Amino acid sequence: MSFFASKNTKFRTQGLRFHSVGLMTGLVLLILLPALVQSNNYILQVFTHALLLANLALAWNILGVSGSISLGHAAFFGAGAYCSAVLSLEYGFSPWFTIPLAGLLAAGLGLIMDLICLRLRGAYFALATLAFVEIPRVITDNWDGLTHGSLGLVGVPGLPSLSLGTWVVDFSASITASYYFVFVYSLVLLGLVRFLFSSNLGLAFQAIREEEIAAEAVGIPANRYRLLSLLLSAYFTGVTGACYAHLVHYIEPGLVYGLHFSAIPMIFAICGGRFTILGPAMAALVIYPLDQFVFHPLLPAGHEFLYGVVLILTVLFLPAGFWGGLRKVS
Amino acid sequence: MTVLQLQELSKTFNGIYALSNINFTINEGEIVGLVGPNGAGKTTLFNLISGRLRPSSGKILFQGKDITGLKPHAVCKLGISRTFQSSRPFPRMSTLHNVLAGQVFGKGFSLHTRPEDEQMAHELLDVVGIAHKAETLAADLTLSEQRRLDLARALATRPKLLLLDEVAAGFSPVLVKQAIKLINRVRERGVNLLIIDHFLNLSQKVADRLLALDHGEKIAEGPPDIVMKNREVLRAYLGMRYQDEEDD
Repeated sequence: MSFFASKNTKFRTQGLRFHSVGLMTGLVLLILLPALVQSNNYILQVFTHALLLANLALAWNILGVSGSISLGHAAFFGAGAYCSAVLSLEYGFSPWFTIPLAGLLAAGLGLIMDLICLRLRGAYFALATLAFVEIPRVITDNWDGLTHGSLGLVGVPGLPSLSLGTWVVDFSASITASYYFVFVYSLVLLGLVRFLFSSNLGLAFQAIREEEIAAEAVGIPANRYRLLSLLLSAYFTGVTGACYAHLVHYIEPGLVYGLHFSAIPMIFAICGGRFTILGPAMAALVIYPLDQFVFHPLLPAGHEFLYGVVLILTVLFLPAGFWGGLRKVS
Repeated sequence: MTVLQLQELSKTFNGIYALSNINFTINEGEIVGLVGPNGAGKTTLFNLISGRLRPSSGKILFQGKDITGLKPHAVCKLGISRTFQSSRPFPRMSTLHNVLAGQVFGKGFSLHTRPEDEQMAHELLDVVGIAHKAETLAADLTLSEQRRLDLARALATRPKLLLLDEVAAGFSPVLVKQAIKLINRVRERGVNLLIIDHFLNLSQKVADRLLALDHGEKIAEGPPDIVMKNREVLRAYLGMRYQDEEDD
């Protein structure tokens, strides 16, 4: 159940082999996906988006693992999207420069959120973050000169082509390149989350989540570690928002600051397993395509009910999440 | 050589004194029992020393250094560690990781757990007698095991002064005997102890000195047998009637 289980000396080899075979298969499938679907644009688009959402869930969970449930990550997502879009569209900066910058802006916003909300705990913190989203949304909505307000930004430049020697990756030519870009970003973020959670920073995050007073009594400055987890979480949510802007080419305040982008990472993280490294990402890669390929055609108007149902079922029957539950069984 | 020195220490909550003008010293190598009836201010005193609460006035010196107003994590890093009246384990973490948290963060910080940290954590679990539960989630331990875990985790921070809050409350005579042994082992490691002991089942046997509090004031201090015969202490524990009868 604990994500330190893998570091324990007594490996449960049977379960471990099962897991690693499953994981390797999934990884290979994701790598081969463009070839398998013969670059069917729709399928690739859905999985590109699923990977973006996986990144959101991974980023959300950096904060989640330290015990804070945020309902306001759309603030970071939207701010990141707008920062990168405005700088590249209006001022002509390269997205390769503006995407990491967008993360920094989101982290700055995270610092403000910390000052306002992080003295609160539990449900109070969650509610405060829900309200917090309104701050960047209202600013974006009303700063017409910079953001075109509620009209949104149209024609956000795509990712510029990358050239490595003679090998050129052109992101405008096909969705395949974008897919692989997001895929690589997911791997990097996953690696980072794994490093964080299995280091002693992860130990501190867990201890704060479990029993804050005791954590402080054994020398863990709880507020500092909670701030660290919030800043990292906000940074990568902002970067993901920026990627979204450059992949979709169109953003508006109601969309990128919408409840959707606050709720979705939380739902995936809880369904996949809040206290696991991989769970949130896997939930995104299963549930979102399921939604798009199966439920959307069936129920075009109300397909999002799926998220509610999955969340309720998880909370009732698998409180540790799919991945968390699976680990426990083996 | 004094380990801990309390100077004119007071704490008020909304104008009401929880502790007033406490002067007290713990010397190197000492075990001190902190006794007194419910509401005497024992736990408040712990919260002041460990940084959980800020004193309203007065000073706390630890090894000659003023630590008044420091945060709990900073106090811990200087060498004061504590257990809690009702133990506070990290429930969804393994017993071993509970102790590792103290081992890793108690003095400094290392990004990765070193093998010697892990070995030390195992050793401490052995000291308190729950080594066989290293992989068990702390939530699944019995209450007595959780208290031992609390103690192991506090020891893992390598304290110079250990504050024990009611470690033996509710213990059977057999467990109390084990606790006494354990405390002597801790003392041998060069740790000074301040033990809250409301029911007096531990401190009479291990303490070098007692500090008795009542209504936030120091009413007696000295060797256990003398303090236990002090009239103020008897009155605090047993009520006015006892004193009246004695006066007759």
